[in-house]
Amino acid sequence: MAAEAAPAPLSLAAEIARARRRRRAAFLRRLFGHPSFLIGFVILAAFAATALLADRIAPYAPTKIDYRAILAPPSAAHWFGTDGFGRDILSRILHGTRVSLTIGLWVVAMVGVFGTLLGTLASYVRWLDGLIMRGLDGLMAFPGVLLAIALAAALGPSETNAIIALTVTFTPRTARIVRASVLVVQGMQYIEAAHAVGAGHGRIVFRYILANALSPLIVQLTFVFAVSIIAEAILSFLGVGPPPPAPSLGNIIADGRSYIQEAWWIAVFPGIVIAVAVLGLNLMGDGLRDVLDPRQRVERGGH
Amino acid sequence: MTRFLITRILSAVPVLLVVSLVTFLLIWLVPGDISAELGGTDATPEELEAIRRRLGLDRPLWERALAWYGDLFRGDLGYSYLLQRPVLDAVLERLPVTLSLAGLALVLATVMGLMLGILAAVRHNTLADQGAMVTALIGLSIPDFWFGIVLIILFGVWLGWLPTGGFVALTDDPLGWARSMTLPAMTLALTQMGVIARMTRSSMLDVLGQDYVRTARAKGMPRGTVVFRHALRNAMVPIVTVVGVLTGILLSGAVVIETVFSLPGVGRLIVGAIQRRDFPIIQGGLLVTACVFVFVNIIVDMLYGWFDPRVRDGR
Amino acid sequence: MIPSLGLRTPLRLVAAVATALLACTLPGAVSGQQRGGTVVVAQAANPPTLDGMATAAEAARNITMHIYETLYAYSETIAPIPQLAEGVAISDDGLSYVFTLRQGVRFHNGKEMTARDVRASIERYRRVGATKSLLAPVESVEVTGDHEVTLRLSARTPMFLEAFASPRAPVVIIPEEDAAAEVGRISMVGTGPYRLVEYVPDSHVRLARFEDYAEDTRYAGSDGFGGRKAPHFDEVVFRIMPDPGAQVAALEAGEVHVLERIGVPSGRRLAGSDAIVVHENMPWAFTVLIFNTAAGPGANRDFREAVQAALNMEEIMAIVGEGLFDLNHRWQYRGSTYDPGEVGRDRYNRSDLARTAELLARAGYAGEEVILVTDTASQQNIRTAVVAEQQLRAAGINVVIRQFDQPTVLELRRRPEGWHLTTGQMGAAPYFGPVDTLATMTGAQPLFLAPDPQIDALFRELANGPTVEARQETFRRAQAYLYESFPIIKIGDWGKMEATRSNVRGYVPFRIPRMYNVWFEQ
Repeated sequence: MAAEAAPAPLSLAAEIARARRRRRAAFLRRLFGHPSFLIGFVILAAFAATALLADRIAPYAPTKIDYRAILAPPSAAHWFGTDGFGRDILSRILHGTRVSLTIGLWVVAMVGVFGTLLGTLASYVRWLDGLIMRGLDGLMAFPGVLLAIALAAALGPSETNAIIALTVTFTPRTARIVRASVLVVQGMQYIEAAHAVGAGHGRIVFRYILANALSPLIVQLTFVFAVSIIAEAILSFLGVGPPPPAPSLGNIIADGRSYIQEAWWIAVFPGIVIAVAVLGLNLMGDGLRDVLDPRQRVERGGH
Repeated sequence: MTRFLITRILSAVPVLLVVSLVTFLLIWLVPGDISAELGGTDATPEELEAIRRRLGLDRPLWERALAWYGDLFRGDLGYSYLLQRPVLDAVLERLPVTLSLAGLALVLATVMGLMLGILAAVRHNTLADQGAMVTALIGLSIPDFWFGIVLIILFGVWLGWLPTGGFVALTDDPLGWARSMTLPAMTLALTQMGVIARMTRSSMLDVLGQDYVRTARAKGMPRGTVVFRHALRNAMVPIVTVVGVLTGILLSGAVVIETVFSLPGVGRLIVGAIQRRDFPIIQGGLLVTACVFVFVNIIVDMLYGWFDPRVRDGR
Repeated sequence: MIPSLGLRTPLRLVAAVATALLACTLPGAVSGQQRGGTVVVAQAANPPTLDGMATAAEAARNITMHIYETLYAYSETIAPIPQLAEGVAISDDGLSYVFTLRQGVRFHNGKEMTARDVRASIERYRRVGATKSLLAPVESVEVTGDHEVTLRLSARTPMFLEAFASPRAPVVIIPEEDAAAEVGRISMVGTGPYRLVEYVPDSHVRLARFEDYAEDTRYAGSDGFGGRKAPHFDEVVFRIMPDPGAQVAALEAGEVHVLERIGVPSGRRLAGSDAIVVHENMPWAFTVLIFNTAAGPGANRDFREAVQAALNMEEIMAIVGEGLFDLNHRWQYRGSTYDPGEVGRDRYNRSDLARTAELLARAGYAGEEVILVTDTASQQNIRTAVVAEQQLRAAGINVVIRQFDQPTVLELRRRPEGWHLTTGQMGAAPYFGPVDTLATMTGAQPLFLAPDPQIDALFRELANGPTVEARQETFRRAQAYLYESFPIIKIGDWGKMEATRSNVRGYVPFRIPRMYNVWFEQ
């Protein structure tokens, strides 16, 4: 520990840097050598590329209405058919992946921040632990979908509402995971050693404790990402997700539910796209978990 | 054990408090109230104001909240503006529907999840293992309400084997109940089946690798006995835990499934109440479902102790 | 309030359906109408209450018009015809209406209906009726005989009988004992052909045949909301099914016999099926866009005309009506008594972007955000908003859609700020004629924020018009005014499709799914 404070000889510093690079390379090799992760990564990369390039590759504008082509079945002009507005389903799905990814990333970011904050606070500041944990227990007992419906009633359905509702839903479990892994790390000798040499609380939390809680957090957030893509679809289906005419995957399914037998293509294609994207994220999560945190092969429950 | 129970029940109080506080926050958030619905299209602003006064909606929310907690202490959950009956009655009448759905889904998910998980663990690193895990993963990845729509078309319309929606009470007609619940429960079980299958597999693999199981095998105990007596019993710990967590998720899921399958459950009751601003039902409904959640989790904790001797003896 | 609310009903439903099917296979039943069976009607929304006079909701009217009856009812051609009344004598000064009541009419509780019940019901309507302004001219209600009630009006009101017979929130007759009850707290007892058995919200409403129903033998069969009503079914169940896909699935599976609304594409697909009969109910409603004339760009007449000039009604209606629509600019249904003809036609369905630009410039519109509010409850509203938004944006108007649930929209529309344009569907009001149509636009509520003195004056003139011709002329001027000032824009008419299982006989689509004079065959 003390060695870091003193200027190390150049050769040693280079040695450390090389070792770090080697470790990173080895880690990446292990990660991409893991078949689940690789498949999942390819799927997600394709998904992300679609979202980024939606403007370029979509054959039509996602909100382009054509009342002469209402409920057209899949054809050369419309590969995935059209909906009740004559809008091209393929174009809507391509743009819809963007909405799903945006919501997913926001939820992951917010859950990551709040989960880490609450989890660390609970484990680090003893007197807050009970308070925070009981609060989180309460939120866990509160159905997130209903929160989203109430928010939509108040503010109108929007991406923001969906993000807030999903954040509230997924934060408690993530905070628990962070808290649990921080508690494990906290008891370890090197933390006590850091305290002993007089490292500040902030430094200890960031440099040592969080670094060690990161692996389970990343794994958990991958699954949160996956679940929030499905949850977005559920909220849109109930009419409280991104408002029309936004081409979210859930909205497209909702548009198609009245025509499920007459125009199956409206609901079926986005459903498959959601399933594939979520599958990709789950596979990535599995791979990450195996490589980052082999002991934690079980998704943690609430206790 | 008694002390454990008392502690657990006491620790439920803050949970219920948080739920009710969040509910008040939610009521504070939503604009509008029920006066327009009760007053009719022609009601004048004065008449609407009179309705608000009659229902106490003109008082500030904190006052209404205090009154609500006061009533709660006397065991009174209030009176629904719209249904014209006590909230508790209305919620309890719906509870069997949601509990049937959630219960049956849990049973289905657990049975199917266990079977897949055990198969995968016992035939570790074989095609069966991979097949089971891919099935579980697909279950995890398919949006369940979408799966429900597909099931309705397949079994309800094309094959005509099962009803497309609606609810039959278990006490009226057990067969009808099972038929009406099969598709919704399958839909709701899909995701949870995947979770349980994956958990079962990994905890079974952990346990199967442990010394005492190897010893048991070495002592010549039949394979099946080893799996079921030792390995599965220990694998139950995380499974039971997940059951508790799932109870919380189930109500959220139930809202959607109840809509797709036209089931008169608590989820739709509360959604309807939010959409119509029937505040007492929102409050009462969420509190009762939170109670169910807490109750299931207490049971889960007890089972946890029962399945895991270390936890039991440590107390 | 509701008898025997319980969960132990669906079994009986299943059993009843089974018996119904059994009964139908029995040979030797009389040809023509057959008695018996349980018919299941699906509808999407819960009735807010079954207190018939207290709500104008379509979801309630569909059901309550089987339970309750009125003194006068609307006929198929929207003329008031006697139902519980034997007739009415109107004094020469038009201020006194003497209703004689039919004798031997019983309530579901066994009591015979008398003048006291009628008076109590009308008094209650004036207190809690959902459209009680219709009875505003009534000064007093008196019992002038065992079976005679006299209404005194404060002013001559030529269209009073029409208003009194209006089924929007009908002036239904209930027993005197219920008259003091608050909204929803009555015993739900009426004189109609079916009586209420139970209401389980989100599940179903069950009605059973009223065995002592006194059929009105003055008529041969149904006539609008009135006529002779023969309850052939043992039970009528209204099942509440929010998901349209699930409704169609249930109809195809035979679990439901009547869909009071089916998507046009589903209807077209099922039209070829032997098991199902599809009915077109055209026209069903107007699609309209309503301006906030109190504040924002909509306060400017030129801006409003710019919106009118920009819109392509054909595109909107093709999507709203899913192909079943009529490009009707009139503020009445085409060919009805008060059809105002071609007035304003030249301003309808223009999609004239040059004209729009000119009007926008004149209005001084500089690209401010125009908030188009729509509610989540109606597919037609959402579709209208989505298509209109596209068209208006293309015309240079910066429209954004804000979607809320209904209570929030109602709350929002009471305020001058926060919205500029909103969507609406007017079904019942235009059907019941020019007075109802114009009534929705008068005063500060419910359509317009700022009362429009012109419309208020036209409404008074219309309501007091002594003859049909005079009223027709007034309504023509009303339509001319609407196409001059554009406080509200007519988009078009759309029709709804209904579907029945083909063993349901005698069904004729109307404003409500009438389950009397309808029966199961084979």
